[in-house]
Amino acid sequence: MGYLFDPENWHWLISGNNFRFLLTGFWINIQIALVAMVLSLCFGLILALLRLSKQRIVSVAAGVWIDVWRNLPLIFIILYLALAIPEPWREAYQRGVPEWFPTAFQSPFFLAAVAGLTLYNSAVLAEIMRAGVASLEKGQGEAAASIGLRYWQAMRLVILPQGLRRMVPATVSQLITLNKDTTLISILGIQEVMRHARIITSTSGSPFVGTGVDAPLLQVFLTVGVMFVIVNLALSRLSRRLEIRERRRTGVETARVAGLEDQLAVQAATPLE
Amino acid sequence: MSDLWEVLLRHFPEFRSGFLVTVQLVAVSFVIAVVVGLVIGALRVTPIRWARLLGGLYVEFFRNIPLLVLLYISYLGLRRAGIEIGPWVAGTASLGLYTAAYVAETVRSGVFAVGKGQIEAGLSLGFPYRKVLSQIVIPQAVRSVIPPLGSLVIAMIKNSAIIGVALGLADDLLKQARLINSRTFQTNEVFFWAAVGYLILTVTATFAVRFLERRLVVRR
Repeated sequence: MGYLFDPENWHWLISGNNFRFLLTGFWINIQIALVAMVLSLCFGLILALLRLSKQRIVSVAAGVWIDVWRNLPLIFIILYLALAIPEPWREAYQRGVPEWFPTAFQSPFFLAAVAGLTLYNSAVLAEIMRAGVASLEKGQGEAAASIGLRYWQAMRLVILPQGLRRMVPATVSQLITLNKDTTLISILGIQEVMRHARIITSTSGSPFVGTGVDAPLLQVFLTVGVMFVIVNLALSRLSRRLEIRERRRTGVETARVAGLEDQLAVQAATPLE
Repeated sequence: MSDLWEVLLRHFPEFRSGFLVTVQLVAVSFVIAVVVGLVIGALRVTPIRWARLLGGLYVEFFRNIPLLVLLYISYLGLRRAGIEIGPWVAGTASLGLYTAAYVAETVRSGVFAVGKGQIEAGLSLGFPYRKVLSQIVIPQAVRSVIPPLGSLVIAMIKNSAIIGVALGLADDLLKQARLINSRTFQTNEVFFWAAVGYLILTVTATFAVRFLERRLVVRR
């Protein structure tokens, strides 16, 4: 405990621009999480619609795709893509990426990182959406059909608005997981917060490049952890509030999705007592 | 196609040992997660205010911190601080403590799902508090805890891959795949079989949970 709170060991935080360096790294993680989230939501919705298709072959194929990708470790997918994406593609990406993008986005492995995050999370989100829709009473679809709505009209006007509403808590909890998972792309050498933290711990004490103040690993990574905790706590508070308001307004319960890390965010939506 | 089988046959011992290491990692971490999770979950439902606060702090911290950061702290960070713990201990403890936060939340919601009325009814019938817990609350809570616990096992299988690759703390399935790949460069074939290994684990866990769930519902 003495070591942990010894002011000597926290001096690095205010010396030089160490803290700002950490924050810029963290900001990269947030940006990547946002990009991956938007992509995952789009592809997830497409996958979910395919999964819900009346065509049996389409539905089964989408189901297999979803189940394979969401049951593999994310770090496995990222590592595989980094090794499997051919070099010409990587070079083409590096040539094509606009210069004003952050340095991390210029990495040749950025494509593999974002593709991996998207592949995994779109499958998870598709399953969340499917469960949300599946939890609706069958009568909803039948009623929509009986008042003369076509399949797509019923989807757009009746099924999806209700189904998607039920998936809000699960989606936010997945966003938190995604935010944490962005640290995994550091294994590809992309310059984000984990790399920045390593740089601080190895150079801050150096008389040549650093500030001469030793930055102990434990304290630096604890600071990184606290950054994630703060942002994720804010996210989960937001989701809790949204969810309570929704439930009060509509009285719906959320569906359960198997295989999620944060099963509870989903379950918490069902009223207690 | 023949390449695919050839890779499996030639590297079967490595794949098998990696697979077994992953299973061991998950098993050990699961025990840690359940034990710690039960304690923290119990803290979260006690009538004592500071205990609830402590449990809450634990849950919010370990649930929102990336596992990779935990691994860095527990292995490299503590090492720098003079506390040397082995790679295996650091890996399983990190994964276990991380998942324990989710287990604690599961336990809490399981206990709350039983409902205050039943606890009050038990107490007013003259049951001591311990009896109320063991005879009324826990049997019902276990039932609602099984499905989320199963989800956590699946998440643990997936998260265990981080331990081996990111810091090289264990020679698990993904680490072995990476090693084989660096020697053979048959990326697609090697990762195909590693994927099969992971899917065997996660799909088995899914079916096991479904089976348990069905049995428990029938008994109700």
